[in-house]
Order: sequence, then C-alpha cells, then structure tokens
Amino acid sequence: MGGGFRVLHLVRPFLSFLPEVQTADRKVPFREKVIYTVISLFIFLVCSQLPLYGIHSTTGADPFYWMRVILASNRGTVMELGITPIVTSGLVMQLLAGSKIIEVDNNVREDRALLNGAQKLLGILIAVGEAVAYVLSGMYGSVGQLGVGNAILIILQLCFAGIIVICLDELLQKGYGLGSGISLFIATNICENIIWKAFSPTTINSGRGAEFEGAVIALFHLLITRTDKVRALREAFYRQNLPNVTNLLATILIFLIVIYFQGFRVVLPVRSKNARGQQGSYPIKLFYTSNMPIILQSALVSNLYFISQLLHRKYSGNFIVDLLGKWKESEYGGGQSVPVGGIAYYITAPSSLADMAANPFHALFYLVFMLSACALFSKTWIEVSGSSARDVAKQLKEQQMVMPGHRESNLQKELNRYIPTAAAFGGICIGALTVLADFMGAIGSGTGILLAVTIIYQYFETFEKERASELGFFGF
Amino acid sequence: MDAIDSVFDPLREFAKDSVRLVKRCHKPDRKEFSKVAVRTAIGFVVMGFVGFFVKLIFIPINNIIVGSG
Repeated sequence: MGGGFRVLHLVRPFLSFLPEVQTADRKVPFREKVIYTVISLFIFLVCSQLPLYGIHSTTGADPFYWMRVILASNRGTVMELGITPIVTSGLVMQLLAGSKIIEVDNNVREDRALLNGAQKLLGILIAVGEAVAYVLSGMYGSVGQLGVGNAILIILQLCFAGIIVICLDELLQKGYGLGSGISLFIATNICENIIWKAFSPTTINSGRGAEFEGAVIALFHLLITRTDKVRALREAFYRQNLPNVTNLLATILIFLIVIYFQGFRVVLPVRSKNARGQQGSYPIKLFYTSNMPIILQSALVSNLYFISQLLHRKYSGNFIVDLLGKWKESEYGGGQSVPVGGIAYYITAPSSLADMAANPFHALFYLVFMLSACALFSKTWIEVSGSSARDVAKQLKEQQMVMPGHRESNLQKELNRYIPTAAAFGGICIGALTVLADFMGAIGSGTGILLAVTIIYQYFETFEKERASELGFFGF
Repeated sequence: MDAIDSVFDPLREFAKDSVRLVKRCHKPDRKEFSKVAVRTAIGFVVMGFVGFFVKLIFIPINNIIVGSG
C-alpha cells in the first residue's frame, strides 16, 4: 500500500501541536448537544462584541464591508476575522481533494486524520496571515501610530480568536453539538443583523433630527410623536438611508419564497437488495447544492472588490485599474466605499429603479452575471464536493441499494438525468432570488437571507433526525 | 446560423431539462409549507434575538471598556 510520496504525510509532524477536540466516545444525549451548541454560539457572540485592545482607530474605508455578512465578521472586534480562516481552509482542502491534487482515501483512518489536521493547520496559518495583513495594511491606524507592541498584541488577539472559532466548529462537528459551527455562526450573524435593523434602539442624527435606527421602533415612534399621521406613516415606510418598514416586508417575502422552493424535490424510489427489500427514497432537491453557489459567488465578488479597492487606492488613474473598478466614498458615511465604474460597478446590484433606468446595460449585465455565476459554481461544486451523479451512484451501490425497474448499471444514468440539471437550475434560482431580494431592498441583502433560511432549514432537518434517533433508541 | 445554433442548442436543451425537472418535482402543499415556515421563522427569531440581546448588553459594556482605554 505504501507506494511513493504523498502530500498529506507532510502534515504528520504537526499533528501533535494542533489543538484537538476528542471525538465523543459515547452517545451524547440530545439535550447535551443543545447545551453545547448554545454555549458555542454564546462564546462566538461575545467575541463578536469584544473590542480589540490596542487599536488606534477603525475609521476610513472598510474594504471588507461587502464580505462581512457571509463571513460572520464584525469590524473592530476580536472576531474581525470571523469564520474566514476556517471557511477558506475548508474550501481549499475540498478543492484539492476533489481535484485529486491531494490523494485521499476516505476508507483509511490515517488519511482522514491527516486531512483534518491539514485543514486545521491551514486555518491557523490563514488566521496568522490575515491578522498580519490587517495590521500592516493600516486597518487600525498605521503601524507607526500603533507601535510595535500594540501591533503584535492585535495580531495575537486575532489569531487567538481564529483558533477559538476553529475549535468551536470542531467541537460541534465531533458529535458534541448539532450541525456545523460555521453554519450556526453565519446564520446567527445574519439573523442578528436583521433583527437589529428592525428593533435597534440606537438613534442616528439626520436632516430630520434624531431618528431610531430600527424600522419597527421608528414606525411606532413616528406614529406617536407626529401630528400628521399620514406623513408619519409614509416616512416610516419609505424613509431613505435607514431601515424602513418596506425593507422589512421585503425581507419577510423573500423568506417565504425561499421556504417554498426549499420544498421542491424529485423523490427517487430505492430499495435495499438485502433486508427483505426494505423500501426507501432518495430525494434530489431543486436547491441541490443548497446555498453553496451564493457563498462562492459572494466570495468571488468580495475578493474582486477587495483587490480593486486596494489597487484604486494606490494606482487610481491607471487604465487597467480603472477597468477593474473605480470607487468613491459613500455619501452616507459609515466608512463604506461604493463602486462607480469598471467591472466592480457592473457586478454590483443597481441601487434603485431609477438607477436601473439610467443604465439598463448595468442592470442586464448584473443579472446575467449573477445567474451564470451561480449556475456554474453550482454545477462545478457537485463534482468537487463528491455529490455528482457518479458519486451518488457509488454510494448507493456501497449501501446495497438499487432502483426498482432499473438495472444496477443504469443507476448512474438515471441520476444523471436529474442531478446536473437540479444543480445548475437550482443555482440559477438561488441567483434570481438574491437579485430579487436586493432589488426589493430586503434587509441584510439577498445573499444573507438565503444563507440564513437555508441554514435554519438544515438545522431543523438535523433536529428531526436527532430526535428520531433518540426516540428510536428509547423505543428499542 | 450554425454558429448561433451551436450556442442556443445547449441552452434550449437545458431549458427543456429544467422544465421537466420542475414538473417532476414534488411541491410542498399548504400544510407542509406552513409547518416549515413557522418553524423556520421561530428559529430565525430565536437566533436573531439571542444575537440582538448580546449586542444590546455589550453596548454599555463596550462604552465603559473603550472609554477607560
């Protein structure tokens, strides 16, 4: 078996240094799993609110503004890196293994351990790299202002938080909790964002005096304090620059639409060859790759934005740099830059109907880009993640399952009729829903809502499965 | 014309496959939809408010921390 050099073996010397969560050696009761999950979530949330010690400032344009929703990141806090290190290392390892660049035999215990170790090691390295990049790029004030001591302190804080997230996710994955930590943190971050925008008690001064940030709070406040109820109502529903009631209603609508489409699935009957022909089914969902296409598309766009902004800051006026994107400070402050030209502009959602009418090519380009990118990412992902028709057929065969009315050799062909189409078309639907959400001004962005709903949906499926096995255990 | 066909044929084929897929799909009925919607909404609100209250609690705490810094 031991033939030739293998990349994964490079990781072996590091395994003993990596922090590791022991695999649960016993059946963890459902109630305990819930407790572990809640505790992990709480730790994450607290870290998201703790300010970094030693930073000079967080003013100036935030190059990661566009990315923070899907990466559970909060600016100026210990959780600045969010889940970036773990998500990035996970994606990289998935791509390497799926593309056979790294040889992994999942039937060999050592290979799985090495793969996990490699992913963790990569996550830590990414955390270190990003922390250093943050400090050196002047995100918290120039290094000269910070001083070397504070700079090192900041880097250590960010790395430590990155490692905490990696360990929390591993804790949940190793059987102590429900689902994955990554999904939990993303969904909570998004839900919190939406609830905050609906109920925030923070006041912000605008041209009309102090206003509540939260849409619902503002609605009641305006109705109570204004003598002209009709104008108050109109303002609550349509005010600019702050969350309003229309945004909230749009969010709810997108929520319902996503849930409806989640229920679409093709159910293929399968039967066990042994166990006296036990009947079952294998569902192929319309959203076959779930929220993965939108994550990949957002990551692509965010990275493009990041690179474009950096280049623009240093080399504005250069033809190629301007082609990539032109930026200017947002009129509404908040440290946000908005693209006003180049590719970055055309792949940004039009901000309004008026904007769309003014530049129809922009709207069309954006739409085609969104749908195409999601479809392509979705189709590619099934190959890379091992959920293509061939992989599924192989799994079913290993489980001694056959499809009634079809010969065993035809199983893959039958699956091929549905899986690639579900992946691509599902990806397009995801893209379309995101566009629709952004256009309607839903709170939290279309990407965020889709992610949150699909993650929560998955959580309930996990929930049901856990409870079923628990009851089954008692019933036995 | 052949060039155009070579572009549109795959798209037409894909559209046909997609339509067949959607028709073949089991779609949720009202009862199923309501059940899932309510449960997902509950999950959404619970997670959202947990985060909301942590944030609410930390605003004054952070003001103290940063203020003294």
